[in-house]
Amino acid sequence: MFKIAIGHSNDPDSNEAVEEILEQCLNSLVGATPQAGLLFSALNFDHSWILQRINEVFPGLELIGGTTDGELSSVLEFQQDSLTLILFCSDNIEIRAAVGRNVSQNPTAIAQQTAEAAKRQLSYPPKFCITIPESLTTSTVAILQGLMLGLENIPIFGGATADQWQYQQTYQFYKTEVLSDAVPLLLFSGQILFSHGIAGGWYPIGKQRLITKVDQNIIYEIDGKPALDFYHYYLNDSDPDAVYPLAVFPPQEENFFLRGALGYDSAIGSITVSGDVPEHSVVQITDASLEDIVIASQVAFTDALKNYPGQDPQVALFFSCAWRRQILGTRANEEYQAIARCWKRPITSCGFYTYGEIAPLRENGQTFFHNTTFVALLIGNQ
Amino acid sequence: MQPRDLNAEIKQLQKEIRILARKLERSETDRARLEITNRNKESLLKRVIGELQTSQVILEKKGADLEQAFNELSLMQTKLVEVETMAALGSLVAGVAHEISTPVGTSITLASTLMDETQLLLAGLKSGQLRRSLLNNYIEIAQESASLILSNLNRAGALVQSFKQVAVDQSSLEKRTFRVKPYLEEVMISLSPQFKQTLHTIAVKGDDAIEIDSYPGALAQIATNLVTNSLLHAYLPNEQGILWFEVIQQNEYILIQYSDDGMGIPENILSKVFEPFFTTAREKGGTGLGLHIAYNLVTQKLQGRMDLESEVGKGTQFNIRLPQSIHV
Repeated sequence: MFKIAIGHSNDPDSNEAVEEILEQCLNSLVGATPQAGLLFSALNFDHSWILQRINEVFPGLELIGGTTDGELSSVLEFQQDSLTLILFCSDNIEIRAAVGRNVSQNPTAIAQQTAEAAKRQLSYPPKFCITIPESLTTSTVAILQGLMLGLENIPIFGGATADQWQYQQTYQFYKTEVLSDAVPLLLFSGQILFSHGIAGGWYPIGKQRLITKVDQNIIYEIDGKPALDFYHYYLNDSDPDAVYPLAVFPPQEENFFLRGALGYDSAIGSITVSGDVPEHSVVQITDASLEDIVIASQVAFTDALKNYPGQDPQVALFFSCAWRRQILGTRANEEYQAIARCWKRPITSCGFYTYGEIAPLRENGQTFFHNTTFVALLIGNQ
Repeated sequence: MQPRDLNAEIKQLQKEIRILARKLERSETDRARLEITNRNKESLLKRVIGELQTSQVILEKKGADLEQAFNELSLMQTKLVEVETMAALGSLVAGVAHEISTPVGTSITLASTLMDETQLLLAGLKSGQLRRSLLNNYIEIAQESASLILSNLNRAGALVQSFKQVAVDQSSLEKRTFRVKPYLEEVMISLSPQFKQTLHTIAVKGDDAIEIDSYPGALAQIATNLVTNSLLHAYLPNEQGILWFEVIQQNEYILIQYSDDGMGIPENILSKVFEPFFTTAREKGGTGLGLHIAYNLVTQKLQGRMDLESEVGKGTQFNIRLPQSIHV
C-alpha cells in the first residue's frame, strides 16, 4: 500500500490556509495515517503556527520542507503566495527525516553526519534521498558533497529553499521547527520505485570567451579582464542577473553546464557563481525563451516516465528553478500544464520553485547541483 | 438565504478578497522584477547583435582577403607556368646554340684555311712564280673547303630553321594545321643536346600524314616536358633507355602515346604527378610544374584528355587524346 495526499491553499491567512490543506489531506487519506510529508510554503506565512497545526493533526509525522519562490501541485497548479503539503502513507515503505543545523559552520561534515543519522534510523538500506537545503548561507555544492559521502552515492533529489528574489533569508522546516542555515532531508527505503528526468532550456549566445582566472566558484577574470566587466558589457552596466547565467564549457568539452551569478565584488570585479568552474573553461552568456523552457520541462518529465521501472508512478515531485519562473513571468502555469498534458491521466503532483536543483544528470549517475533546471521525480510502490 | 449560508458566503468572499489583495501586491513586485529581466534581455540581445555584426564584418573581410589571396595565387601560378615555359625556351636556345656552334666553328676554320691558301696563290701570281702544282693544290683545297663550308652551313641553317619553328611556336599563340609526326621529330631535334650526354634513344612512330589543326607551340611544350620528365626521373645514370612517341588517328581524334621503359611511378604517388609543385626530385632542380603544365595545356589549351599508366620496373605511358580540330 502506498497512498498519497496533497493539500494546496492560496489563502494568504496562515490559519485559514493550514486548515484548508489539512482538510484536503484528511479527505484523501480516509483514515490512513501518513508517515512522512513535504511542506512547500511562500515566505509570508506564519510557518511556526502551520507546522504546529500539522503536528497536532498528524503527530509524529516525518516532515521537512522550506520556503519557495512559487508552489506547484495537482490541486491548484502553479501558485505564488500559497502553501502546499504532500503526505506519504505506506506499510512497506519506510521514510525517515533528519536535519543538520548551522550547516554553514562546516557544510560537508554536518551534511554527512545528518545523512548518516537518518540512515541509522532505517531498517532497510535507503533507496534515495530528498533534501530541501539552505541556499544563501553556504555552498550548496559543499552540502551536497557531505550528503553524498554520508549516503554512499544513492541518488539525491530536491531543491534549495528560496525567498521570493529577496536574497535575504530562506527557511527550512523540520517537524515543528522553522530553521535557517539548515539541511533537512527525507530518506526513502523499502518497496519503493522511482525515476527522474532533468532538463534546462538555456542556450549559449554571443561571443565565446576564456576564463583566465578562477578559484572554485569565484571567477576573477574573463579574457584577462575583471569578470564583472563581462556582465556589465552585456547588461548595459547592470549588476549580474541570475536569469542570464553563464554557459561553462570545460576544456575540450563540447557540452556546457550553467552557472548563475549569486554575488559579486565590485572592488576587484569578481563574480561568485552557483558552483565550481574548471580553469581554462570557455564561457558564453546565455538566454532562454519561454518556449525553450516549457519544452525542456516536458522533456524532463517524459524522460522520467520512460525510465520509470514499474507500471505507473503514483506521484510526481517537481523541483523547478526560480529563474525559470522569472522567464515564464505571467505564464508560469504553462510549465505545469505542458507537463500535465504529457501524461494520459490526471497526474498527482507537488513541487516548488527553488534557488538550485539537485539531481543526478542521468539514471544511476552521480548527483549534481544545478541551476535553471527542471527536475521531475516519479515515485511509486513496488 | 439562511444565516449559515450567508456566513459561509461572507467567509468565502473574505478569502477571495485576501487572495486578490495578495495577488495584486505580488503582481506589483513581479512586474518590477520582470521589467528588470526584460531590460537586461534587451541590452543582452543588442550586444549579441552587435557582436554578430562585428563577426560578420570580420568574416566578410576574411572572405575578401581569401578571395584576393586566391586570385594572387592563381596569378602566381599562371606566372610560374609562363616562367617555366620561358625557362624551357631558354634551355632550348642554349642547346641549339651549342649545336650550331660546331658547324659554324668548322666553317670558320675552313674559311680561314681557304683565305690563307688564297693569299699564297695571290702572292705566287704577283711574283710570277706560280707553278702548276701549286695551282692544282689550291683548287683542290678550295673545292674541298667550299664543299665542307656549304654542308656545315646547311646543317647550321637547318638547325636554325627547326629551332625557329619550335621557338616561335612555343612563344606564340598561333593555331595552324600541321603534320604531327614530322613536327614532333623537329621538336626532338631541338632536344638532341639533352640526349647527347646520355645513352638513350628517342623515336617518333606513326603515319607521317596525320594532321591536326591545333596549337603547335603547346604540343612542343607538352612533348618537351614529357621527355624532360623521363630523363629526370625514369632512369639511373648510365642506363640505356628507349623513349618513343606514337601518333595514331582515331576518328576525329589524334592519340599521341608517349612511353619510356624506365623505372615507373609508384602507385602511391601516381595520382599526384599532375598536381602543381609535386616533385620527387626537388634536389635535382625539379619544380613540380612540368607535368602539371603539360596536363593543363592538354586539357585546356588543346581541349584534350590526358592520363597515364605506369608499372614499377617496366615503364610509364602517357596517353594524350586530342581533337583533330579545336574550337576557339
